[in-house]
Amino acid sequence: MTDPLKLVAALVLVILGTRFSAWGEETPRGGSKVFPYPVQVTVLENGLKVVAVPFDNPGLVAYWTVVRAGSRNEIEPGKSGFAHFFEHMMFRGTDAYPRERYNAILKELGADHNAFTTDDYTAYHVLAPASGLETIMTLESDRFMNLKYTVEDFKKEAGAVLGEYNKNASSPFQTLNEKIRDAAFTAHTYKHTTIGFLRDVKEMPNQYEYSLQFFDRYYRPENCALLVVGDVDPKRLVDLARKFYGGWKRGSYQVEIPAEPQQTEEKRVEVDWPNPTQPYLDMGYHGPAFSDTQVDLPALDLVSQLLFSEAAPLYQKLVVVEQEVDLLIGGAADHRDPYLFEIVARVKKPERVAYVEATITAALEDLKTKPIPADRLGKVKSHLKYSYAMGLDTAGSVARSLAHYIALTSDPEAVNRVYAIYDRITPEDVRNAARRYFARTGRTVVILSHKEGAPAGAQGGAGAMAAAAGVTAR
Amino acid sequence: MTPRPLPVACGLAAFLSLMSIGAADTKEKKTMKPTSNQGAEAPIRMSLLPSPSSPLVAFRIQFRCGAINDPPGKEGLNALTAMTIAQGGTRELTYQEVTERLYPMAATIDAQADKELTTFIGNVHRDHLKAYYDLLTGILLQPRFDESDFKRSRDILLAAIETNLRGNDDEGLGKAALQWLMYDGHPYQKLDIGTVQGLKSITLDDMKAHYRRCAAQRNAVLGVAGGFPMGMVDSLRQDFAVLPRGGTPEVKLDKPRALSGVEVMFVEKPAPATAISIGFPIGVTRADKDFYALMVANSYLGEHRTFNGRLMNKMRGERGLNYGDYSYIENFIQDGGSTFPVPNIARRQQYFSIWIRPVPHPNALFALRQAVRELKMLVDGGLSVQDFEATRKFLLNYSRLWTQGLSRRLGTKMDSEFYGTKFFIDRIQEELPRLKLEDVNAAVKRHLQAVNLAVAIVTENASAMKETLLSGKPTPITYQTPTTSEALLKEDREIEAFPLPINRERVRVVKAQELFEK
Repeated sequence: MTDPLKLVAALVLVILGTRFSAWGEETPRGGSKVFPYPVQVTVLENGLKVVAVPFDNPGLVAYWTVVRAGSRNEIEPGKSGFAHFFEHMMFRGTDAYPRERYNAILKELGADHNAFTTDDYTAYHVLAPASGLETIMTLESDRFMNLKYTVEDFKKEAGAVLGEYNKNASSPFQTLNEKIRDAAFTAHTYKHTTIGFLRDVKEMPNQYEYSLQFFDRYYRPENCALLVVGDVDPKRLVDLARKFYGGWKRGSYQVEIPAEPQQTEEKRVEVDWPNPTQPYLDMGYHGPAFSDTQVDLPALDLVSQLLFSEAAPLYQKLVVVEQEVDLLIGGAADHRDPYLFEIVARVKKPERVAYVEATITAALEDLKTKPIPADRLGKVKSHLKYSYAMGLDTAGSVARSLAHYIALTSDPEAVNRVYAIYDRITPEDVRNAARRYFARTGRTVVILSHKEGAPAGAQGGAGAMAAAAGVTAR
Repeated sequence: MTPRPLPVACGLAAFLSLMSIGAADTKEKKTMKPTSNQGAEAPIRMSLLPSPSSPLVAFRIQFRCGAINDPPGKEGLNALTAMTIAQGGTRELTYQEVTERLYPMAATIDAQADKELTTFIGNVHRDHLKAYYDLLTGILLQPRFDESDFKRSRDILLAAIETNLRGNDDEGLGKAALQWLMYDGHPYQKLDIGTVQGLKSITLDDMKAHYRRCAAQRNAVLGVAGGFPMGMVDSLRQDFAVLPRGGTPEVKLDKPRALSGVEVMFVEKPAPATAISIGFPIGVTRADKDFYALMVANSYLGEHRTFNGRLMNKMRGERGLNYGDYSYIENFIQDGGSTFPVPNIARRQQYFSIWIRPVPHPNALFALRQAVRELKMLVDGGLSVQDFEATRKFLLNYSRLWTQGLSRRLGTKMDSEFYGTKFFIDRIQEELPRLKLEDVNAAVKRHLQAVNLAVAIVTENASAMKETLLSGKPTPITYQTPTTSEALLKEDREIEAFPLPINRERVRVVKAQELFEK
């Protein structure tokens, strides 16, 4: 955590062209920072980070609490899925505001509120009238400091989590996600999905004591950030944060996440799917952790675009021209620790899986030897910037983006640093990243297909394809 | 980093949000007539939402043409045409060339094809407005209709039915099966993306003819929001004037068939849990005063993805039966990761529904009974004054959140125009404060009931579940961990034996692999 009351970013001009003198005149964008709104960061004495982002959304605020603990923190055997389960328990109330009262107060405000958990963090979010800010802070600070639930409530909520597992289990994506992680990781907690192994989900009702321990470890001010976007006065927000969260005590727990040893040979897994389906090919290469200073992951983000965006030659070849696959995605989702560059293709004809795998592999190999033309790289960089800018159209979407970077680095300025790296990436950087990470010995391949006579029933996993998509409270 | 979005229609969840599944109602609505110039000489309809300070421009180019316009035997024609256009080229440019030009702008063109409306949705940063405008109008006014684009789009739609819906999305399958059962014999019955046989029978010439019929001035509404210059509006009006002036005659919608008792369609497939959808057509839409009274009652019963509704509190909160339980008074598709509805799926007829998210198989019939019992309690007892006041206050504030973002706001405005009413959120702000408790409870009795219901149940061992249901025997809940609450146990006993007026003649089991074939 950094200096108290540090103004991280002064007002930055809205850099996305606001001039338009005549219909048809192009206005190329300028400026240096991709995040266009003022950000004020304050760290309270107890370590709680308070981030205010005034945004033109009269009368509304998006109020987010980011806990830097996710399924990555589930280090003990048998406890997979616990961060997400605990997210559910956070809605079970306190002595001062039992569940029904908590809901009734937010209902009166007309708030939209929910939460989600990812591999690396858990986020609680409320979208509500700005006039309700103090009420929201009363409720949120209370549950983060004084959460209390009965054993019976705890067990009931486990049923809802099983229900969440079940709702996702009819989709092959959950199973792919489960299988590739389980095979690719041997030590690190990314081995399991955010919702956890089914056997652990079923065991959750018996883990009441562990839940108290989990709260004690991670729901501490130095591990959390408040993020408020919209119609907010930063100074008032800090004053209110001191008032409501000032009494929150620091914790002392330090988690030790097991490091993943280097993979030395290719792993292959076959999955039988109970319903008729086109085969899915899922390939994962061990990649780097998120960084806003090192070039590796940003370079792989560019690779994701160079090969798997709709304009990419590989995508055009497999999806548009040859029409061998009807789904092709690939990329390295941001993670605090090294994760995977994952590629998924759904192949129209089972007998063409080997061809598709060979074609994708060849495209990855080409990156190691054939330099990417500079103009192609320029288009990718433009796409990334505009795509990001166009996503910042509501207080909620701005908060969601900053929460992601706060969770990864604890610093919202990370977004600007990452996009600045994108700007600097050269064809050589792309080639070097490809050489470093696309080794056959470092990859895991999962093929999911239907075989007549395969056993019926669920094989499911959790969450969405991208680990960062997370799972939610309802 | 920016994950690449799924292409339109890959993965049914993403797909259905853009190519939805359908709905219904009962009576002719005078207010449903378009509000503005419809005559043969009238200028094309525009729907503008300028926001000069916004760096973004959102387009919603809509045609009042949908799955109900599919000719018999060609089910899926509208959706396939829309997809082939949106993921196709222009007269001068191939799809590949269009994609290459859109890419540096990060601009998008998607199609959303519903029962009565087809909407092309575009988003661009205004730095690139002119170049984007040329591509968008090129695609819509001079679609390429390439054989290759046609084949690719058809494969995607076929897979969406044969693989995704039948096999890999039990909740989506339950909702689609509900439509199939509830609208038997009605133009709303079939999937918006058609049937397997319908899609296979469509030719490129069929699509060209459908485009000529639907892409006509009288069918079109040109919606634009954001930081666009007024000069662009003039260009839009002039450019779309090349479309033929006429339009498709409005498809007549008869009253949906009357349901008789509880009609059940079991859909059998390998499934990890049982997904249930319940519904019946209702005779109100956003155009009607009663819609706003029902809105309060429905929010109390089952507001989407909140803990405000009784269904959610009683089924998930108190019993941990599943992940969620909600109810609706119109066709509802969640917009991506938000809690709010997708715009531009407006329909002349609507329906009431309950969505019970997957329940462990042994608890499925308990869950069905509990949901119907809650509905009956609402119909019989209505809301209390406290519940009425709290729910009305909630909706007055909550509804203001529904139009966050340019494109959503524009879509909501266009829907209001479809219904011939003022901006939806303004109408809510006008109607709700006038409501009295008696109005709400009377509207509930007029439009809702718990006797004549269509029920779709997606499950694994359907025949056994059917027998259990027909036996009329109690279907007790099995708790993962038994409850100790006496009040809960007492209510459980009432629920497990709650009588469902099953119509034995209209209970059947179908294989998922046989549904939506033709």
